Amino acid sequence: MTDKRRIALAAVAACSATALLLAGCTGSDGSDDNVLRIAMGSPGEAQIRVWDDVAAQFEAANPDVTVEMNYQDDDLYQTIGLPNLLNGRNAPDIYFEWAGARLEQRAADGFAADLSDAVSTGPIAGLFGDDVFTSLTVDGAVVMVPHASDVANVLWYNEDIFADAGLTPPTTWDELLATCDALDAEGIIPIASGNKDLWAAGNWLAHLTSRVVGEDVYSSALAGESDFNTPEWVEAFGYVQELADHNCVNESANAVDDNEGAQLFFQGKAAMHAIGSWLVSWAIDEAPDLNFDYVNLPSMPGDGNQDSVIGVVTGYVVNAQSSKQDLAAEFLALLNNDGNVQAFIAAELTPMALSASSGEDVDSRSAGLIEMLETAPAIVLPPDTGYDLETANALYAALAEVLGGQSSPEDAVAGIDAKLG
Amino acid sequence: MKPNRRITPYLFLVPAMTVFGFAVLLPVIMTFGYSFTEWNGYGPMVFVGLDNYVKAANDVLFRDSFVHVLLYIFATIVLEVVVGLVLAGLVSVRRQGSLWFRVAIFTPVMLPMVVVAVLWAFVYNNDFGLLNAALHSLGLDDLQRVWLGDPATALLAVSVVSGWVFAGFYMTIFYAAFSQVPAEVIEAARLDGAGEWQLFRSIKVPMIRNAITVALLLCITGGFQGFDLFYVMTNGGPYGATEIPTTYLVKSVFTFGNVGYGSAMAVILTTVVVALGVAFTRANREKSEKVQP
Repeated sequence: MTDKRRIALAAVAACSATALLLAGCTGSDGSDDNVLRIAMGSPGEAQIRVWDDVAAQFEAANPDVTVEMNYQDDDLYQTIGLPNLLNGRNAPDIYFEWAGARLEQRAADGFAADLSDAVSTGPIAGLFGDDVFTSLTVDGAVVMVPHASDVANVLWYNEDIFADAGLTPPTTWDELLATCDALDAEGIIPIASGNKDLWAAGNWLAHLTSRVVGEDVYSSALAGESDFNTPEWVEAFGYVQELADHNCVNESANAVDDNEGAQLFFQGKAAMHAIGSWLVSWAIDEAPDLNFDYVNLPSMPGDGNQDSVIGVVTGYVVNAQSSKQDLAAEFLALLNNDGNVQAFIAAELTPMALSASSGEDVDSRSAGLIEMLETAPAIVLPPDTGYDLETANALYAALAEVLGGQSSPEDAVAGIDAKLG
Repeated sequence: MKPNRRITPYLFLVPAMTVFGFAVLLPVIMTFGYSFTEWNGYGPMVFVGLDNYVKAANDVLFRDSFVHVLLYIFATIVLEVVVGLVLAGLVSVRRQGSLWFRVAIFTPVMLPMVVVAVLWAFVYNNDFGLLNAALHSLGLDDLQRVWLGDPATALLAVSVVSGWVFAGFYMTIFYAAFSQVPAEVIEAARLDGAGEWQLFRSIKVPMIRNAITVALLLCITGGFQGFDLFYVMTNGGPYGATEIPTTYLVKSVFTFGNVGYGSAMAVILTTVVVALGVAFTRANREKSEKVQP
């Protein structure tokens, strides 16, 4: 090897070593500065204004502290966004999370602080009912402060279209199919869905399958404790196929995203829309003249509780690796004080704090959904927030295939187990 | 001017090599290392040996993704390289006045791919998109499709968008190559009675063989790197019909947190692309050596 080559190689090696050293300088320890960092998926402009106001209130009360809000794209936050933030140099001190498997994972990974003292005797005490922390407790420790509960899916319907067609909202499976037939005959899309990302119709149809197979079988399969390829699941997927056979859903369901699916409903091209409780504020913003209401998923022939509701509690977790956990607890207490709760209600979000039941008028539909969730005899968790994401995605993909007429129920359920190995 | 010290030229290379080391070499080495582990990106890293590679070899979806990308590459060779060649031939026939045509055809190349993907997603929209509306106004309702929702049309639909973007790029390359063809050769051919099509097929295209080879190599390697168009328009759907290796491994890493498995797929993909590039270059070199006396 010539001298020149040796030197060139040495230069490359030196650069690489330098690069390695630089890379080694990054760390994931919590910051010791006076910045309280809060991360979440974007909650919409109206709620962002409330959050910014809460941040300003906290800074006024704590002049040495700066509050930094980080709003990420929802899909990004739910997948890689939050893990990246938690392992970054300036990890959030408080972050949004869904109750269920995700919350348990955060606790297992050491990112969820024990808030038991804060909620029982500390700054958060008295702001919530006692029962609400049951689902937010992991290994005996309260790890989340609830903010809102979402009903992940109901059937919204256009009251004017139904009135013109002489229809009533379906409460049974047969009524739903008959409604689909009647609307399809009139050239109206019975149910709009934007299922390109698989979760929109996935949540709706997952709830449907839980009504057929029963909540225990549903939960067990999604938790990886039992197989999907069973006669019960084939039967459940058979009902999804019936939806396809009766043209219940727009042809483009698996090609458009949830925004485009909702637009079909907002523009009056579809009579119904299967989506969650967040539609209320969205529709009020984008289609203020739309007269709409909801029904829970119609009762199905099956082993599940036919009054079950698919829903999830969401809230905020204090990072166990944060050096500002006490400050974070005080912030969460401020977030849930009477004034700020009313501000969130005005922004079309209904917090779970006790004071939410007084003051500002909650939209009657939102109030109805909250009551439905609170009084539900059974609550089914959405697959993508309550369970392992890979399992949820396999179920969603199989449901989409049957809904789109691409696969038979038998092949679809067999495919789920094959995919999950 | 000779350098005073022999090390001087290499010192000038250090900044570029530093960036290369940090931005390319280090991630490649780290990805290769991660491919032998099971890791979610932040928890404990567990060494699993070749398990990820075995899993990838048995992963039907991963294998299918290569089929999809090869189909995409074949389509883009036609829609980008061949169309670009024909367009270059057309605009080079009469250079005067061709500038605006060249600008118009090249404009999509300058658009960000994400913007293009969103734009064409609206064009292809079944319910209010431009394409189905145009077909309806022409009385061709039978040709309407759910373009991005039908497995039979989704991959072709994405390929057409890629062709719309990059045909102009290859047209520019070939136009420049045609400009290098000696005028005397063209003139002589015309004197012999050759028409434009004969000139194009028998004179111009053979004389820009090297440019065509480079274009094909760019198209093939670029096809394997395709991501943003697929991610925005279909994200691998419908039903995995447009899942290509890059979208699949991104899902594995960023949606499911399987960094180790995604890294193994990335290593496999890189190996395939490099092997194809080397094979292509060697085959081309052998061809050139055979042609030379």
